[in-house]
Parts: sequence; C-alpha cells; structure tokens
Amino acid sequence: MAKSKPKVGIFGLTGCAGDQLQILNCEDQLIPLANEMDIVDWVMASSRNDHTCRLDIAFVEGVVATERDLETLKEVRARAKTLVALGTCAVWGGLPAMHNEIPRDVLQREVYDIGGTHFLDTVEALPATHFVPFELTLPGCPIERHEFLRVAHALLAGAMPEFHMLPVCWECKARENLCRVVHFKEVCAGAMTRGGCGARCPSHAVACAGCRGPLEEPNYDANITMFADRGISWLEIARKMSQFSAPVWIKQGLEKEVRHEHRR
Amino acid sequence: MSTAGRSIVIPHLGRVEGHGGIFVKVVGGRVHEVNMDIFEGSRYYEALLKGKHFLDVQGVITRVCAICSAGHTVAALAALENALGIVSSPRVFKMRGLLTLGATIESHALHVFALALPDFLGFDSVIAMAEKYPREVAFALKLKQLGNRIQELIGGRAVHPVNTLVGGFGKLPRHRDLEEIRSALSAAQAPLAGFVDLAASIEVPDFAARPTVFVALRPHEDGYRFRGSTLCTSRGEEFPVAEYRDVVREFTVEHSHAKHAALASGETYMVGSLARLALWGDRLAGQARTAFQRLFPRGVEENVLTNTWAQLVELVHCLERGQQVCEELLGLPEEEREMQEYDVRAGRGVGAIEVPRGTLIHEYSFDDDGIIESANVITPTAQNLANTERDLRAAVERLLASDVGSESTLKLKLEMVARAYDPCISCSVHVTCL
Repeated sequence: MAKSKPKVGIFGLTGCAGDQLQILNCEDQLIPLANEMDIVDWVMASSRNDHTCRLDIAFVEGVVATERDLETLKEVRARAKTLVALGTCAVWGGLPAMHNEIPRDVLQREVYDIGGTHFLDTVEALPATHFVPFELTLPGCPIERHEFLRVAHALLAGAMPEFHMLPVCWECKARENLCRVVHFKEVCAGAMTRGGCGARCPSHAVACAGCRGPLEEPNYDANITMFADRGISWLEIARKMSQFSAPVWIKQGLEKEVRHEHRR
Repeated sequence: MSTAGRSIVIPHLGRVEGHGGIFVKVVGGRVHEVNMDIFEGSRYYEALLKGKHFLDVQGVITRVCAICSAGHTVAALAALENALGIVSSPRVFKMRGLLTLGATIESHALHVFALALPDFLGFDSVIAMAEKYPREVAFALKLKQLGNRIQELIGGRAVHPVNTLVGGFGKLPRHRDLEEIRSALSAAQAPLAGFVDLAASIEVPDFAARPTVFVALRPHEDGYRFRGSTLCTSRGEEFPVAEYRDVVREFTVEHSHAKHAALASGETYMVGSLARLALWGDRLAGQARTAFQRLFPRGVEENVLTNTWAQLVELVHCLERGQQVCEELLGLPEEEREMQEYDVRAGRGVGAIEVPRGTLIHEYSFDDDGIIESANVITPTAQNLANTERDLRAAVERLLASDVGSESTLKLKLEMVARAYDPCISCSVHVTCL
C-alpha cells in the first residue's frame, strides 16, 4: 500500500469564512491538492466529517468570540500535529477585535436591543493565537491564494514554508504606483503592513488599510510623524489606525494613543 | 410511536457557510419544536461602525461575509450615495451591476454544484463527487472561477473588494480585459446548458412543500435585474424600500445569534432565487427563459427544494446578462478612473440589492462631518430563518407520517431543506439594530 495521505482538518471560528472560501477559490488547483491529502474534517465543504481523529495538519480561521469557539480551538490544537492560523482574524484579531474596549453588553444592547441577554454567550473577540500556540501563521483579509498553496505544498512535502517579511510599501514601489502618502496626503498603512498581496489596494489607487497585519516591529512613530508632517489631521490618522491595526495597538499597550471615538 | 419524547439533532450543519445546527423535538408522534440553532459568534459590526467615517463603511461592512462581500459592498455604497444625493454615472452603475453578476455566478456555482448537488446525486461532498463526475466538477469550478475573475477585475479582489469607492471606482477595467470576460461568459453557456439537462432529469422531492410568501425587489428597469427600489410580495403588495422598517419586522429568538424576520402581518416569507423567479421569472429572456421553462414546466411551485434549480436558471441568466453589460461598457471610452465629486453633508440613506440569497438592505445615517450615527443591515438569511423553521416542521411531520427509513436518512432530508435556502450564517449574525 502506498504511504497514507496526511490527515487534514479545516476549521472556522467566528468570522466571515473568507479564508475557507479562498481555499475553495483555489478552484482548478483544489482537486489535485485535495487528492494529495485526506481532508477528514471540513464542515463547510462536507456533510460527513470525523471530529475526533488525530490530524497531521489543521487550518483554523476566525476569532474566538464565544466559549464554543474556544472549546473548538482547544480540541483542534490537541488533535493537530501542525496547526496553521489562517487570516488576520486568527492571527491578530482583525476587524471583530477593533473595539474590544467597548463592553460587549453595550454592543448587545445596541444591536439586539435587549438588556440582560442570556442566550448570547459572546465574549470579546480575540485572535486564535491568543489562546494556543501555532506552528505557522498566515495573515491576510482574506489570505492570498498563492500563499495558501505554498503553505499546503510545503507542509505536504514535510517542510516549513518561508515567507519574506517585506512591507506592502516595497511591493507598491516595485509596481511604480504613485505614493498615497506623498502624492495624495492619505494615511496609508503600506510601510507598516506585511506584504504578499502585491500592493493590491494602492495599485487600485486606494490607500493600504493594513488588512494583512503588521510587519515584525513596524515603526509606528515614524509613520505617524510622516502623516502628520504632510498636514493630515490627528483625527484622520487615528481613524485609519483604529481598524486592522487596533488589535495590534492594544496588544502593545498603545491603545489610549489611538482612540478618538466617544466613550460608550 | 410511543408518547415518549424524541429528539432529532443535527449538531453542525455541513456544506453551508457558517455555524448552525437543527434541533427537532417530537412528543407523542407530534412535532413539538423545530429550531435552526445559530451559534456563530456575534461580531456587532453595525455597532462597531458608529463613530467611524462613512468612507470607512465599505471596508468594514464587506467583512460581514466573504461569499456575499460584493453584495454588501454594492448595497452599502448605494445606501451611502443615496444619503449624499449622489446619482451613479452610467459606467459606475453598470460596473457595479457586473460586479453583482460576477458574485452571483461565483456564489450560485458554489452552492448549486459544490454544496447542494452532492445531495441530489448521493455524495457527501463535491470532492467525493469529483471521482464519479470529474468533467462536471471541473466545469463547475471553472464557472466559479469565472465569477471570481469578474469580481477581481471590477472589485480588485475576489473576496472583500477594494476598488469600490463612494462615488466610483479607483481603477477602471481595460477594454481587452472586458473582452476576455465577455468571451469567457459566452464560452460557458453551452456546458451550462448541459447541466440544465442533467438537472431536468433529477426529480426534486416535495416533502418540504408548503404555502409560502415570496418577496423580491422590483427590477429597476424592464428585464430580469438584481437592483431596484421597491419591495414586492407574491401577494401583490408593494412598498418603497426606504420604508422597509414598516414591512420587515425583525425579532430575537433564544436559540439563535441571528435575528428572525416576518412581515408586519406576522407571516414568514422567503427571499432568494426562487422568490425572484416567482415574481419576475416571466421577464427572463434568451437561454435563461428556456432553462426556466425546462426546469419549472408548471411555473414556480412553493417547494424550497427547487431553489437550487432556480439558482441554476439565474446562472444561465447571469452568463447572458454579463455579456450584455460587458458590451455596454465596451461602448464607453477607455479611461483610468471614474469618481464623482460630492459634498459631505449629514444624511440618511437606504440601499437594497438582490444578492444570491435574496434581498439585502443597508441603511446608514451620518452627521455633518460624515461620522456614522447609526447602521442597519438586514440580510437574506436572517429573513429566511423563520420560514426555514416552518419548512423543516412541515418536512418532519410529513416524513414521520410516511415510512422515511433510518434516522440518518431523515436527518439528511432535513439538512437538504436547510441547505436549499443556501443559508449564509456569517451574514445573519452581524447583526442589526432596529
């Protein structure tokens, strides 16, 4: 008998399912890839799944926003030899975590219009990486397909994929786009954000929102000074830096500096 | 059956987008309780938008859901532009239409072929189905890819578009790219017609059939279209979409993180492909009309399991309509960028669009500085949940009365009902403030 295929599980915690969709979006490369692995647990794509077996590779996307998410995550961690965090939500917290300073019961009142809700077991949204160790993290909102395929093929070959840690800004220069900061006086997170997207947004004449999460040790101070020196208002800077960057700021204890909305 | 209670539990519904389950309680042979449990966590996007600028709305609200990201984008921009008094230029309007068609092709191809068809052909997943139907699955994935290519060209990315701005687009497509899309759409028509033949040979069971009210937007022009500003019901009622709060009542239920919805009369209703065909199917033209007549020889019946075939008819329509829109865009001069100028002022606006799963409504209000004061999103799945539960109840009653076979067959049939709605659970738990 041929060597058995590695057992793979794909899981989504709370989120938009965009990273799982990007896997499905690998379209013509999906079936050959699926043939090289044994996908035993993928609720989004199959109605027959093994929820208990050991896994060689597990992919997890999304934030932990419920107790149930946390249980799922811990179970998957216990089952998996190699655990991969997919997407900015799983790695950094992403947009669901951008206002963790607002108590959840305030949000519940505003959204569900009821006080003292009991049936919502929602807790503040935190990245999966906050709770368990991961062997590999692949950010992106959503992940880039070519990066996922690289990860999958490397892991199947028993190797760890390596990604360059260049900023979006570097990829943007290589594409000879006009700089959103210099020429248009916009807050662009390109110099602080991990590349790999090919500078997608600035190539569409839109400033980088930082959706792929930060580089290692981005120089926030220098960037903010650069924006302010171009005459961009502090309010505008804070507004742009309170989205994908917010969970990162919070982690680094810089939250107070970037908040500008009214307290609730 | 004894008088003892019996529960049918499907803890985690497979082949749908997001996390949900089905819980049925039967006491003494009678169905006591039917719940669609939605346990996807809440992300409170609407509350999180408060205090942000309207320019940041699209980038945030598109993240409600990946499969529906283009739909949320177009609905949000329509609502914001209504509030600002911006009237889209013909090119911007057509490009957003093409983006919607691309998203519908992608989403319907995914649901019809990868999520629903395995049920009808007896497989657990599309990957298992690929072994016996390699050619069909390969084409289905190609069709889905074409939908994504359109979204990449117009929106800048297949999931969570970046090129879509209030007032226009950052970058316009080149004519040669539009020509390529047009010929790819044309090339997909013949193989898709083959699928219509395959579908016509499969008998759709009617164990979940039940009288249903259908709701859809009246197309903005003569023809089968996905945008409009009037909500219509299959009972002949009409309402301007800006007054949706008087028509659609949302309420919370204990077993679901997603709200449920009903008409003001208390009746539940269905939105989606089947509803659109029921209301506007007679406006279809060309091959879509042929496919409609082929798959619905007696017209649209009140059986949600036929929603998958309705999506197939819409796929045929999207291929034809997509070519027309490409043609129209090719008639305009090639340019780099198109943005309309506008003044920032306080406003409130509603935008609605027919997305793959049904009518999607966005509403925003903001102050003089453009800072969001309130946001509300009503998704198709939230509107369909209450109706899904009633269909499930009808199905359980009918299946228990007949000899349905094993427990697992019963569960599979109930899953088919829930899947037929193509529920998008991420969307339904986002959630709204009324």
